[in-house]
Amino acid sequence: MTIMISAENLTKRYGRRPAVRDLSLTVEAGQVCALLGPNGAGKTSTMRMLLGLSTPDGGRVRLLGEPVGLGAPVLRRVGVLIDGPAFVPHLSGRANLRLLWSAAGRAWPPPGLDAALDLAGLGDALDRKVRGYSMGMRQRLMLAQALMRQPDVLILDEPANGLDPAEVRALRERLAALATEGAAVLVSSHQLAEVQQLATHVVVLHHGRLVAAGPMADLVGAAGSLEEAFLTMTGEEDERAAR
Amino acid sequence: MLRVELTTQLLRIRTLVALACLAAVPVAAGVSTAGNAGHRNGGNVGLFGAATYSALNHALASLAFLEPLLLPVVVSLLGTAIGAADRDWGTLRYVYVAPVSRRRLLTGKLAALGVATAAATLCVPLAGLLTGLVLFGWHPFHVVGAANLTGGETAVRVSIACGYNVLCMLSIAAVAFALGILLPRGVEALGASVAFVIAATMLNGTPVLRAVQDVLPVHYWQLWTPLFDPIGAAQLGTGVLVQLGTVVVAVGIALLVLLRRDPAA
Repeated sequence: MTIMISAENLTKRYGRRPAVRDLSLTVEAGQVCALLGPNGAGKTSTMRMLLGLSTPDGGRVRLLGEPVGLGAPVLRRVGVLIDGPAFVPHLSGRANLRLLWSAAGRAWPPPGLDAALDLAGLGDALDRKVRGYSMGMRQRLMLAQALMRQPDVLILDEPANGLDPAEVRALRERLAALATEGAAVLVSSHQLAEVQQLATHVVVLHHGRLVAAGPMADLVGAAGSLEEAFLTMTGEEDERAAR
Repeated sequence: MLRVELTTQLLRIRTLVALACLAAVPVAAGVSTAGNAGHRNGGNVGLFGAATYSALNHALASLAFLEPLLLPVVVSLLGTAIGAADRDWGTLRYVYVAPVSRRRLLTGKLAALGVATAAATLCVPLAGLLTGLVLFGWHPFHVVGAANLTGGETAVRVSIACGYNVLCMLSIAAVAFALGILLPRGVEALGASVAFVIAATMLNGTPVLRAVQDVLPVHYWQLWTPLFDPIGAAQLGTGVLVQLGTVVVAVGIALLVLLRRDPAA
């Protein structure tokens, strides 16, 4: 299988605090990989490094076999949702999509615009200013921005935030379909039940270190659910009880 | 990137209102002095004394009136917005993953800074010209105490004056832009750059601080007005060098911060 996302011995510190320690992971074409961990485990820091938004203190990152830095050309083939949605508030949803697409010098419209807008389901609101959007509408617009590129790689930080159950299901089906078509999807999430339905593979981080990685079925194993397996792996319940 | 920056900054309501405020001053000044059309404007001398003689006179007098304070404040607003707005909105990370390289981002922002500064600066004489056309008519440029300028002389001097003013405003725009890149939030950068304009203007008005004045860009902003005195010449060389130096230093600082800072930090 083709390796689409690869991180080798990634390390990142913020001041003296280590955020990610010696992390290696790969995501292959056709996989939906969930990046899991308690708050502060290093998930978002890892995703930022994978996208070139943060420079690792050690290790290296490759997307689609190419090295990644800030604004690297390979990012044209990557759909991104990171650190929540963000838009120019005084422009409409459509103008924002156009702006983010044409910023890289590409001609409007993008190849997957119609399908992405279908999923976003914003209707007439697409031509209203983003300033008036709800949290869920912003999230759906940002997902449309990530999907309209018809990306080979998707890196999505908490993609289901603010979505209602029907929207979460539609997103799950869309991501699964993209993976079937050969894309690699990396999602971070705290919604473990949802992740269990969506992901084929799991990477678990705790205190910036890799705790476990592998196919979903192997990791869930005898625990019966991803939630049980996750809490056992990270010792979160024990830590909470000790506090 | 230039189109992106212009769409997000120049075509927003806040910017258009600021430009409208700038344009409103020549209109208000023209209306208030319309009774003196074709005559000297009260006891004033220089550009202000001749403001009521023709549309061109009113245009240049408007520029001389607004250049010391209101124009640089508006230019600061534009400069800080171009430097800081995408970080304030959180869209900078999505621009980088669009993907846009740092070099392309900076080039686009600097081009937008130039266009926005020129638009703000030139909207003042343009508004003065249009107001003057209605109120004072199209006549040769009048110089108090000297003969009217010929068409050729007027074209050359007005071009030099406008170009010099754009350069002067570009220096404060560059300072505001650098502050926008450097400080955590746009509003802080705006406050700092407006404070810089006010403080520099006050320092420039304090005769004992001659050594400080010499390095302040503000000190050279009005050097162009002798172009329209009876002598008709202005020493702009030092002013040009100081403005260019300010632009280079400010853009250098912005570039350094942009290159060294982790965008996710």
